[in-house]
Amino acid sequence: MTAVSIRRPSPIAWLIAPAALLFVLFFVLPFGVMAALSFFSANPISNPNAFLTTRHYERFIDDTAGIFHDALWATLRIGLVTTVVALLIGYPLAHWMARMHSRLGHALVLIAVIAPMLTGIVVRTFAWMTLLQDRGVINTLLLQWGLIGSPLPLMYNEFGTVVALVHIYVPFMVLTLTGVIGRIDERLEQAARSLGAGRVRTFLEVTLPLSLPGILAGSLLVFALSISAYVTPSLMGGTDVLTLPMLIAQQVSTSFNPSFAGALGVILLLVSLTIVVAYNRILARVSGEQGMA
Amino acid sequence: MRTSAAPNRRPFDLGRAAYLGVNGLLLVFLLAPIAIVLVFALNPTPYISFPPVGVSLRWFDKFFSSPDFTNALALSLWVAACTLVLSVTIGGACALALVRGNLPGRAFLTPFFMSPLMLPAILTGLALFQAYLLAGIGRPVWGLILGHTVVAVPYVLRTTLAVLHNFDRRIEEAAAVLGASPTRVFFEVTLPLIRPGVFAGGVFAFIVSFDQFPVSLFLVVPKGETLPVVLFNYMKFDLDGAIAAASMVSILLALAVVLALERLIGLRAYVKL
Repeated sequence: MTAVSIRRPSPIAWLIAPAALLFVLFFVLPFGVMAALSFFSANPISNPNAFLTTRHYERFIDDTAGIFHDALWATLRIGLVTTVVALLIGYPLAHWMARMHSRLGHALVLIAVIAPMLTGIVVRTFAWMTLLQDRGVINTLLLQWGLIGSPLPLMYNEFGTVVALVHIYVPFMVLTLTGVIGRIDERLEQAARSLGAGRVRTFLEVTLPLSLPGILAGSLLVFALSISAYVTPSLMGGTDVLTLPMLIAQQVSTSFNPSFAGALGVILLLVSLTIVVAYNRILARVSGEQGMA
Repeated sequence: MRTSAAPNRRPFDLGRAAYLGVNGLLLVFLLAPIAIVLVFALNPTPYISFPPVGVSLRWFDKFFSSPDFTNALALSLWVAACTLVLSVTIGGACALALVRGNLPGRAFLTPFFMSPLMLPAILTGLALFQAYLLAGIGRPVWGLILGHTVVAVPYVLRTTLAVLHNFDRRIEEAAAVLGASPTRVFFEVTLPLIRPGVFAGGVFAFIVSFDQFPVSLFLVVPKGETLPVVLFNYMKFDLDGAIAAASMVSILLALAVVLALERLIGLRAYVKL
């Protein structure tokens, strides 16, 4: 009796109603509004003369001022570099954590990884500003030790932006990778070792391929997060860096052009969705091949 | 294939030492910036300078005596508390419905409710701003809270789903066999068992809201800004110890939350999420 009553569609299904209502009204609908507004010349409610137009998109595509395309490329470039560096930094940590047998050690490393995650983007960007600015910790120390004659340009450029972004998003990479590496059967590695493969070869030919789904999932997450970053590029990038999210914020607060901001938003959304779809395809293929092997 | 690493089987294991050394450096990279904030919060010089010259609480004093900061802190705490309650209720219920409700299209619904995590948060903020603009309701605090709730629900969902998937349903069946009504099973068996997951999600929801910037950016009004927005605007012009003190207040709050979290379900469970 109990087994049957549990399997039947249950009244518990109604518990989804509040979430569904919240998401329709405050997530789906707003994104629809944003997309719709991007095709209007002005706010169609307050301005009766507003008309349908594609001019916001034409403005982006024509790019007569020569900044929009650069902003798009800068966004993608910063996202890509951040992702690659976060992967290179995150993988050793994740591997270490996944293979750690001591409970205490594991908990300590986990706290070290999660603690920065819980300190907020603004706070961490501030921390990097105090480290990397001309009179910051690193330049001060290097000058004192006589290693450099004048402060290195560590901030107000893409370098500083990427450093801070990596620091902010690497915990996401580590947590994603740790889960996947932890699930790899260690006996596979032991088998490779006992068959004569060295440690490096075992890693390259057994561990690394098996952690590919985690690498893809973590990379996608970090890329999606870093192309939508606003605080860090605008504080660390100075006048050198202009990304799509910064452009959007400019259009809303300084130029007060919500329709054009909406068009830029739709473009950023399309980029994000493309990544999500591509990632799902790759992931399906990778796990499919593994299933067959 | 063979790279310049790890010679094997030696008394002193160079590969192992390098591996630990690299990981040690990476931990320093993760933690040093947070430690440095503490140094600047206590350093009394009027601008950020290194090395520190002394210890003082003047920046904490400045932070707590400035109404701009304290009002923002109060608003952030209020919004985060509301977000916590709303997202725990809504997200917890949603997770139960997804796992137990036998809903059609579950494979689509779970990623749908998780999607605020993947989509740029600044766009969620922009879209809500546009919707409120079109609806002519201005930028009310409840609108900000609901915006935060949308991005916080996935965290509650993730932790609760993880608990529900590890859940031994025979415990519920045992309760039912022993004569408990479905309602009683739900309140006395199911709910207590998923509570750690829901609470852990709530802790994340609180942090996500308290540190939230991109969703808040377009949804706050002048003089009614949350702490991260106030700090951001301050940092554009001034980089002094007050920011470090404010950062320390946030970090201490986060630390308290991590400890509460460890108490609640043990940190190890987090890796599996």
